[in-house]
Amino acid sequence: MEKSWHISRRRMLKGMGACIALPLLEAMIPPGFSSFSGANQPPQRMACMYMANGVNPYKWTPEGWGSNFTLSPILQPLKNVKHQLNILGELYNRNSDTRQEGHFTKTANFLTSMRITKTVDSGLDCGGISVDQLVANKVGKETMFPSLQYGVDRIDTGICKSTGFTRLYGSSISWASRNQPCAKEIDPRLAFDRIFRNYIPGKPPVPFDPNKKSVLDLVQSDAQKLNRQLGVSDRNKLSEYMESIRSVEKRLEDRQNLKDFEARITPDVREELARMDTRIDEWAEYSEGVDITPKVRLLLDIMVLAFQCDATRVTTFMFGNSANNRNFSFLEGVFDTHHSISHHKDDPKNLDQYERINRWHMEQYAYMLEKMQDICEGEGTLLDNSMVMIGSGLRDGNRHSCHNLPIVVAGKGGGKLKTGQNLQFAKDTPFANLHQTMMKVMGVDDVQFADSTGDLCEILA
Amino acid sequence: MSPFPHFRLLPLAFLCIFSVRVYADTEDDFRWRKEVRPIIRNHCSSCHNLSEKKGGINLDDTDFAVGVTSRGELYQNVVRQVQAGTMPPMGKPRMSHEEVEQMVAGINRLLDKALSEPDPGDAILRRMSHREYRHAILDMVGVDFDAKAFFPSDASGGEGFDNQSRVLFFTPLLIERYYEAADSILRAARRQETLWRKIVPESYQPGIGEQISLWWNLQVLKKDDDMKKPVAAAEKVLIPFATIAYRRFLSQEETDQLLSFFREMYAARWQNQDGFDQAITETLKTVLISPNFLYRSETNLSLTKPYLISNFELATRLSFLLWSSVPDSQLLDVAYRENLHDPEIIRREGLRMMADPRFMRFAEAFSGQWLGVEQAMTEPKTDTKKFPEFDDALRSAMYQEVVQYFYHVFYRSRNLLDLIDSDYTFLNETLARHYGIEGVAGDEMRAVLLSDKSRGGVLGMGAVLTASSLPTRTSPVLRGKWVLEQMLGTPPPPPPPDVPELEDAKKSVKNELDLRELLSLHRAPSTCAGCHQKMAPIGLGLENFDAIGRWREKYGETPIDASGVLVTGQQFEGPAALKEILCEDREKFARNISRKLLSYALGRGVGFTDSPTINQMTESLTQNNFDSQELMLTLITSYPFHYKRSDMPERYNNDQ
Repeated sequence: MEKSWHISRRRMLKGMGACIALPLLEAMIPPGFSSFSGANQPPQRMACMYMANGVNPYKWTPEGWGSNFTLSPILQPLKNVKHQLNILGELYNRNSDTRQEGHFTKTANFLTSMRITKTVDSGLDCGGISVDQLVANKVGKETMFPSLQYGVDRIDTGICKSTGFTRLYGSSISWASRNQPCAKEIDPRLAFDRIFRNYIPGKPPVPFDPNKKSVLDLVQSDAQKLNRQLGVSDRNKLSEYMESIRSVEKRLEDRQNLKDFEARITPDVREELARMDTRIDEWAEYSEGVDITPKVRLLLDIMVLAFQCDATRVTTFMFGNSANNRNFSFLEGVFDTHHSISHHKDDPKNLDQYERINRWHMEQYAYMLEKMQDICEGEGTLLDNSMVMIGSGLRDGNRHSCHNLPIVVAGKGGGKLKTGQNLQFAKDTPFANLHQTMMKVMGVDDVQFADSTGDLCEILA
Repeated sequence: MSPFPHFRLLPLAFLCIFSVRVYADTEDDFRWRKEVRPIIRNHCSSCHNLSEKKGGINLDDTDFAVGVTSRGELYQNVVRQVQAGTMPPMGKPRMSHEEVEQMVAGINRLLDKALSEPDPGDAILRRMSHREYRHAILDMVGVDFDAKAFFPSDASGGEGFDNQSRVLFFTPLLIERYYEAADSILRAARRQETLWRKIVPESYQPGIGEQISLWWNLQVLKKDDDMKKPVAAAEKVLIPFATIAYRRFLSQEETDQLLSFFREMYAARWQNQDGFDQAITETLKTVLISPNFLYRSETNLSLTKPYLISNFELATRLSFLLWSSVPDSQLLDVAYRENLHDPEIIRREGLRMMADPRFMRFAEAFSGQWLGVEQAMTEPKTDTKKFPEFDDALRSAMYQEVVQYFYHVFYRSRNLLDLIDSDYTFLNETLARHYGIEGVAGDEMRAVLLSDKSRGGVLGMGAVLTASSLPTRTSPVLRGKWVLEQMLGTPPPPPPPDVPELEDAKKSVKNELDLRELLSLHRAPSTCAGCHQKMAPIGLGLENFDAIGRWREKYGETPIDASGVLVTGQQFEGPAALKEILCEDREKFARNISRKLLSYALGRGVGFTDSPTINQMTESLTQNNFDSQELMLTLITSYPFHYKRSDMPERYNNDQ
């Protein structure tokens, strides 16, 4: 029952055939007008995706270097987008190389590449802003949402008493500042409605709230009054509130971003929104919770739609929190949980299950990339204009080593990236060099990032 | 002028970094380096140095007295270990009796000196947790809003609770959701006449004369300043609501602001049949997303000494502790008319609030998070293919068992040792059948006397046994770790990140049959043994409970061997005997629960400067037969519960 639904949905999506429909629509735009504000070039998008627990190290690295390579067993699902890939070997995240513990520091600093402070609450510090947020601060002004964060799991509650870390560190890769993680959305319904609620065919839009601005003004002035009676640490906390109000007010005021976004809601997109709406309802009704594939795909679809409609240009996605011990027995040949299996002790049975779990991650990644490749935009596809990174903070779950991280970057970044390569960098090339390169692609090249020593020139076109 | 200016600056630097008030002087440093430092160098530094950091501990970096007090908790532990003889470990040269004395005295002298001036610790602006928001809305509006599902999830800090200020953040996404939540909550309230009339007892309806006057002023003169009657009616609704929401009186400025907002809203709606209610709704929305409601703030005063927080602020601390919600009007009334800082009065109010059904919220929040069962029960990881019995009904009964049991222990039996062992629990038919207990019919949870000594106490509860298992099987190591960490507060140190391979252990655990054998390998190499010797025997003693808490005698055909020898040398057989041994560790248990409770109450991690309060709470337990009520009263009359220290670091410190 579940299975057949999967197939029909896939077919439906493939059948969507945006490539046929979109050019027609673009032709409808009067000459001299672009659906993108200001420039004629479609914008670049950046997504960073995180996998917990590393990969089976024996089945990850492809054979053959440069453009002449064969996909490894784990990367096999990516065969249809092979020409869009950069598989990066020997990157090293030096600042997560602590002897303190195996997982939290390697998650929180995945996109900051800075050293994490060991704490259960006070002095919470992941060392710096994450690369996605740094980019969002720069390019986010152009879109309704400067950035969007998604994931599968709620933040892990509790603290890890033996290692002395709050599990918060393992639940966030996006950091608005060194002390403040971004909230991630995990519920497809809420995530979808947040962006597209008013554009779903057949659903009445939420009526415009004329008082929203005055309500926000009022509470902002409450905050200012309150601020005067507070101590220094209190004020730091309250500034998060004030910043949040400002950000929402800005979205209300900035009609241009909304107009640009609405211009991208073409009849075809509307149809897709209607389909998504139904799928989310079906998922909410039938999903049994063990197999998370449908949920993951819904969230990835929302990310792609958000890119397609230029609701945002920067997203992150977490397949699971740090040391995620999800029960993957919904996969054929897997009988245990993710983190337990990742401590494989070189047992062939564990390694096999580990590989299957890793491959499942790549299947979802491939699903998203193929979808982006099917969406035409300007001269190319959405994938051509994007840069979608996936990776883990450690190489091998059995060793927790942050040398030679498993990292793939897909998409041409608007022509700024060379693709279709399997690359081996010099041993222990800083992982932050990739961050630095991604920043460059996104047009932020005036900052040196973390411990980076330069760009990964080999992937730059 | 001091001849050593850098010594004068050093404590200032540490003041900023560690927020611990210490006054190191040259004499302290001198004595430390002469009397204690050489002993540490001799006996500790070979393992606990910067490069090796065994157990994550480095004792080789403290050259000054201030370094001891800034890491007071660590050095308290050093004293405990050295006194107990557990350090230096077996196989290393023993310390002489004189060395132990000298070292302990030297450390204690510094620690006592640092603790001589009480320090309430920091109390930072706290956003409400989603749980607190839900309860506050229920108490103020009467609508049960599922905040946890609607808002982005929060993390935990301190001793593992979700109400810890430093890990409660605010993001644009959250303010959007608060806005939508306020909207839907108030709409839900308006749909139910009885709820709405509790907030707005009477809707103002303008009479003919008033209508003409409104029309004249608003439509013709275009001014909205003459709306005395509707505004007066609104004031009666808005101000009491906001007073409860903000847990204090509103300033005149705040009142004016709310009323002027109402005036603006009403001016646009007065012609509607329900214009008054509409305008009230819009105004209440601002209250529900105001920082005055969403944050618990405490006024900061520029004083050099800790000071008493205001009566209203104390009422707020009390109600969020006991009810996870805003104070009721009676408590605010007491805070206004009497001195809530008076131990007699706060005890009286505390007792009243513990007798209120809302105290169940404390039982739920505290137990669910302390024992780690909340996440295990609300977001279960258990493999339902392997355990089809683990359905929603069973899960919910397991969770309810913990909550009701805690409520009972905290409010009725008033003996916290019941958490370790007792002869009763709370069951319904589903759960009783799961436990193999007969004679319980129906869905309702009720107290049931147990004849089996294995079940009583939290270690025999399905929720705890499931939370401390893997999705597909039990893990004695995890269960052992759970007992050490959650019950006794003595977690084992983390495993080394790079665990060396066990040559003989190259097989996976397919079933529980070879578990004991495999675990014995874990304990063999010396890097693992230290901790695994502590964890595994405890967990093996609980092996009669499967991964969802059912009793079992065998793995398949092989009988289970639930005997063990603890690291202390005590032998036991099965869960009942294990619990008896744990009961002997009551001092540790008392200290652990005190720490947890203090952290929960103050919304921050507890540390060295809290040790006087923790000692006080621990003593209250051990001297009063673990009376939970006495513990609560000790907590709410304790120093850090009533005091706050100024948070103006730069100016304040430079003044000193």
